[in-house]
Amino acid sequence: MKWLASISIKQIAFAFVIGLLLLVVLIGGFAVYQTRSVTRDLEHHRLDTARSELEVAVKRLLGRAEKQAISLAGWDETRQQLVLPEYYNYWRDQRVYESGMLTKLYERVALYTASGILLDSRPATHGMPASLPKLELPHQAYSWLVNEAGAIMFYHAFPIYGDDQRQSLLGYGLIQLDFMLALLHQETLRIADKTSLGLALKPGEALPASKLFSRLTFSAQPDPDQLMFQKILSRTLFALFVLLVTTAMLGLVAYNRLLVRPLRHLSQDIDAMQQGRFNANPSRSQPMRIIELENIRRSLYDYQLQLRELHGSLENQNREFHSQARQDALTGCHNRRAYEEDWERFRHDMQTTPQGGAFLLFDCDRFKTINDTYGHAKGDRVLTVIADALVMALRANDRLYRLGGDEFATFLSSTTPAQAKQIAQRCQSLIDASGFGELGIREPVSISIGIAFCPPDQLEHIDDLPKQADIAMYTAKQPGRNRIAVYGEDTERASQTLVASRETSALFQALATPGMIEMHYQPIHGLPGRQVDYYEALARIRYNGELIMPGAFLPVVSSRRLETEFDLAVLHQVDADLSSGQIPPGCGISINLSAQSVSHPEAVSRLLELSRHNARHPLMLEITETSLITQMVEVRTYLDLLRTIHYRIAMDDFGTGYSPLRYLVDLPVDVVKLDISLVNKLGQDDRASQVVADFARMMSDAGYALVAEGVETEAVLHKVESLGIAHVQGYLLGRPVPLSTLSAHHAGQVAEALARAV
Amino acid sequence: MRAFLICLLFSALPAWAQAAIVELKMRPGIIASAEYLAGQRNKPAVLLLHGFLQTREFPTVATLARGLHDAGYSVLSPTLSLGIPRRKQSLACEAVHRHSLDDDIAEISLWAGWLKSRGHHSIVLVGHSFGSLQLLAYLEAHPDKTLSAFIGASLIESQVDTPSRPALVTELESQAANKQRTLVTHALSFCKKYTSTPGDLLTYVRWDQSRTLAALKASPVSVLLIMGDQDEMLGRDWIKALKHVQTPMVIVAGANHFMDGEHEFDLVEHTLNHLERIQKAAPR
Repeated sequence: MKWLASISIKQIAFAFVIGLLLLVVLIGGFAVYQTRSVTRDLEHHRLDTARSELEVAVKRLLGRAEKQAISLAGWDETRQQLVLPEYYNYWRDQRVYESGMLTKLYERVALYTASGILLDSRPATHGMPASLPKLELPHQAYSWLVNEAGAIMFYHAFPIYGDDQRQSLLGYGLIQLDFMLALLHQETLRIADKTSLGLALKPGEALPASKLFSRLTFSAQPDPDQLMFQKILSRTLFALFVLLVTTAMLGLVAYNRLLVRPLRHLSQDIDAMQQGRFNANPSRSQPMRIIELENIRRSLYDYQLQLRELHGSLENQNREFHSQARQDALTGCHNRRAYEEDWERFRHDMQTTPQGGAFLLFDCDRFKTINDTYGHAKGDRVLTVIADALVMALRANDRLYRLGGDEFATFLSSTTPAQAKQIAQRCQSLIDASGFGELGIREPVSISIGIAFCPPDQLEHIDDLPKQADIAMYTAKQPGRNRIAVYGEDTERASQTLVASRETSALFQALATPGMIEMHYQPIHGLPGRQVDYYEALARIRYNGELIMPGAFLPVVSSRRLETEFDLAVLHQVDADLSSGQIPPGCGISINLSAQSVSHPEAVSRLLELSRHNARHPLMLEITETSLITQMVEVRTYLDLLRTIHYRIAMDDFGTGYSPLRYLVDLPVDVVKLDISLVNKLGQDDRASQVVADFARMMSDAGYALVAEGVETEAVLHKVESLGIAHVQGYLLGRPVPLSTLSAHHAGQVAEALARAV
Repeated sequence: MRAFLICLLFSALPAWAQAAIVELKMRPGIIASAEYLAGQRNKPAVLLLHGFLQTREFPTVATLARGLHDAGYSVLSPTLSLGIPRRKQSLACEAVHRHSLDDDIAEISLWAGWLKSRGHHSIVLVGHSFGSLQLLAYLEAHPDKTLSAFIGASLIESQVDTPSRPALVTELESQAANKQRTLVTHALSFCKKYTSTPGDLLTYVRWDQSRTLAALKASPVSVLLIMGDQDEMLGRDWIKALKHVQTPMVIVAGANHFMDGEHEFDLVEHTLNHLERIQKAAPR
């Protein structure tokens, strides 16, 4: 799920900060909303309180007026004026105030007769009504308010009796006061806003005092404590928000600096290490402020150092292994593996950067003779000197490859035929100048060089260079040549085309076509009974109905370095023959294998697979002695492996190869097959024969099972028998037969053996 | 139980049960009231008058009334109207005084007449402070054989706060003669500012010490003055002057002008003593 993909720590920080700010905004908004709600409630409550305060104030004012009215009504001097009103004005304007009946200048009183007529003859001077309004209840006090030119005047009319029984009405009193003035003067309004007080009364409109409150307009004073609280709260919320934002920003910065950035550096360093890129100077990394991160950084740094050392060590080892894997152990030059790798690279470079390229193939002349004459140790020294001379002769960037045995090669880029020839001549000169005599070699040591050149405009033929050089090299070996031949100049083109050779075509076709290789089986007889113990599988090629013998195609195999491919094809065919059931049960099969194939993974795999036939047909591998084993340890390892799965190992053509004794010492050999050349010596009555016979006895005494090859006469056969050699092979006793007739042939051999036994 | 308590109540308040408020119309629109405490018929009735601007509820007078009534005397305690219908409160000095001594005398006369109408043929005039002066003025103006005696407690002349009473009199006479209705304000008795008409004020101002002494001397009835030797409201040498004219006088030691405290009993006692002497001296 995409949404589960990893997210960066920075995104987490951003998300956290955004989330925190959102939360703060939400909480702040909620706080503001709640505060406003509370404020509204408080305002409503305050308004109610103001209303209650005003109610009390108005009631108190009305009550006060009522009390004043009662006092005035009961005052003797009031009654005096109603009876003797001569000095009413004096009483109204002076007595009522100096006596304390009325205390405020905005309070006035007037007296009226029992019929409601003002005692004062000049009412206009005092603003009192000339007569009282008709009252519904005339003998009771009555209050009302009037809007007189913008001023709200309050009137309280009350009856004045002459007796306690309220029977004798003397007249009325009327108290007048400026309502608003009296209200504000009288009361200290703490809640109601004095400036907002008003009475909705039209000019001239009279309002009974009982309905006063319904017309009273007012508002409440803002609560200073509440205002202060709101201000403080607003400031606090704002400050808190600013503080939180600032803290969040600072926190983000600190988080980024202390955590994100160091982690990113660590992550980058780890990524670099994973990709094999190491910090060039890890010691310069800044220490981290967070202890845990610093510990990680130090550990990573130490690990990086160790890893770098290890990497360096591994690289060194790799280079060494690579070098060793590409290096020929004997001569120190590059081996076949390096050749194959470099040749591929050379071909690619030539394709990408067209240029003239040359392939030089070097082969030591008569090396086998030298090896046989002076021994394999000196032979190895000769090869080493040759390799050193060739390396010196080549250009600095050119590489020398040992392909196997005494064969060397090199390929030159950015060259011309003349330059390649020049290099070849230089090689030859250095070889000629080399002191082989110091090695005790009396014979001249020379090399034949085959040169094949590919011009830049014919790079499609570059793959033909090795084969062309090979042909040229063989041409150079021909008598009369100066041991340097250039393909195309010194070779006959018409007869040297790669696909014109019948044997070559047949070989290549057989390698590609299963079934073309036909195995013929030659019996190997055990002595003295001459029973057939096993058969040697010998390859033929059925080509166009004709059978091509090994003598014809094996040179091609050798020259084309197709030993392993050929061996694989042979193993495939042998496996098919063994699986066909046409080989008599119990018969062992011996298979020829080149030394190169022993260490070839595919060949080994094929052999492992073939070993399943071991139960019915004991298998043996015959390593041809003639092949020069360069990777002795590797070959030995594989031979030991094959022996564990019941393969027997035979040294074939013993006496004709490079270092027979050395092979017997270094390799796990069970059987030694004496070459026909040695066996034939047994038929001669001379010192050579004695040597061979003694040698055979020695090998037999050493525990090796011997097989004498190429026994073609009875005399040799008798000699072989007398030496106690256990097995014998040759045309005298049996020729190779095809698989189809093997069973019948084996039956005949068995019958003959039985007959002889009888 | 309840009947017992009612009887106890009635027995405890014999005088109250016989108290009555009497109202008389003094002049048009002016009704005055008096408290009548009926006593023994064989004893003279007492016409008891309060002091200057006071009412019958003044403690000195009220106590004396109860004391006399308890002694079996009928007592009539009027409250002079002073020009105010059914006056119940002491009149302030600064009030517009619409009354004169003549009005006072007329009211006293009406009250005396009422007593007579009630069958009282012997009336003793008892006054306190300025009330004594008013009764003396009534006695002078309306001698009557039903009036049997005059007892004046803390008798005081009409005091004015002016170096020259004659000049004030002259001034007031002049204003009165000119029918001046403008109110004038002068000190009178204990009032520093007494507001009245010139004519009304004059009636009071004329009664200086001399006139008072002359009236005492010429009283047609027996006179007894009960004075306190600690009366600071009296004029200088007033008691000395009274003694000089040989006015029968009882000096209550330690009593002030109002005979309050323990001296209220002295006032009652001396008044009763004199009343008894009057009765004893009365022809059978």
